[in-house]
Amino acid sequence: MAEVLGTFEQAVLLAILRLADRAYGREVVREIETRLEREVAAGAVHATLERLENKGLVTSKLGSGTPIRAGRPRRYYRLEPAGVSALNDARAAVDELWRGLRWPLKGHA
Amino acid sequence: MKPAPPPWGEALLRLFVSLDTFASVSGDLLEQYRDSIHPARGPRGADKWYRTQVLGFVWRGSRLWAALFAGAYVARSVLDRLSPTTDFYMRSEVSTALTAGILLAAGFWTAWRSGSFAAGAIAGLAITAFAAVLDTGGTVALLAIWHDPGTLAAIGGSGGLQEDFVLPAFLILPGMAIAGVGGLVGAATKRLARGG
Repeated sequence: MAEVLGTFEQAVLLAILRLADRAYGREVVREIETRLEREVAAGAVHATLERLENKGLVTSKLGSGTPIRAGRPRRYYRLEPAGVSALNDARAAVDELWRGLRWPLKGHA
Repeated sequence: MKPAPPPWGEALLRLFVSLDTFASVSGDLLEQYRDSIHPARGPRGADKWYRTQVLGFVWRGSRLWAALFAGAYVARSVLDRLSPTTDFYMRSEVSTALTAGILLAAGFWTAWRSGSFAAGAIAGLAITAFAAVLDTGGTVALLAIWHDPGTLAAIGGSGGLQEDFVLPAFLILPGMAIAGVGGLVGAATKRLARGG
């Protein structure tokens, strides 16, 4: 059965997709904050990355550190085929729910 | 000299992040602290931001255990309300063993992840503190549902309202001790598993 993604999981996976080979924790946080136009907790992003990795939707590998990080390594994430498939399924489900409706909705608020 | 977050913040973070990811996670936080938060908010604002981030990790690492702990406590209260008794010995034995087991498991798990002996005791502190808040909310909810004279008499017979509200706070120190024992075993097991 296909993996059902939550909204925040989709945000994290899409950030990894957009960032490509720059997808490490700090940049993922920054990308999501830019897209959602709000601050997000680093802990929420890291917990989601760990969960997605446990589900096999992403993989990670350690890179080098930088002086601003006191030499601590960056962990770079990469989307796996299962992650791409889960994103496609999530988008298809939303498209199906919206089919036949005009966006933005009017007059029912 | 580069700005640095509070040292205790990093020490606390180390206890609630897995051993394998601590370096990269703390590096990400340090990078964000230095490249955007500190320049925008100044030293005090940046330290406050860092504390909030670390407490977020503590909350995420403890909330499931706190919910289990508070759930066991509230479930016992529900049982006492629905099925009043005058002999609380067996119920007390079972609920004490259950909550102690939850704390032991939480201490073991947290110390296993972080590889730190101290993680168990600090997790016990966080879990019982969070659980005290959850339990107080649960007790208030139960009282909102059941507040007839018969139920209030049953509450009086099982220790009274004071016990319902005060006991969770008194469990914080014993909770630290019990989870600390789980933490000792968890950290020792981790070291053995990693070859000393």
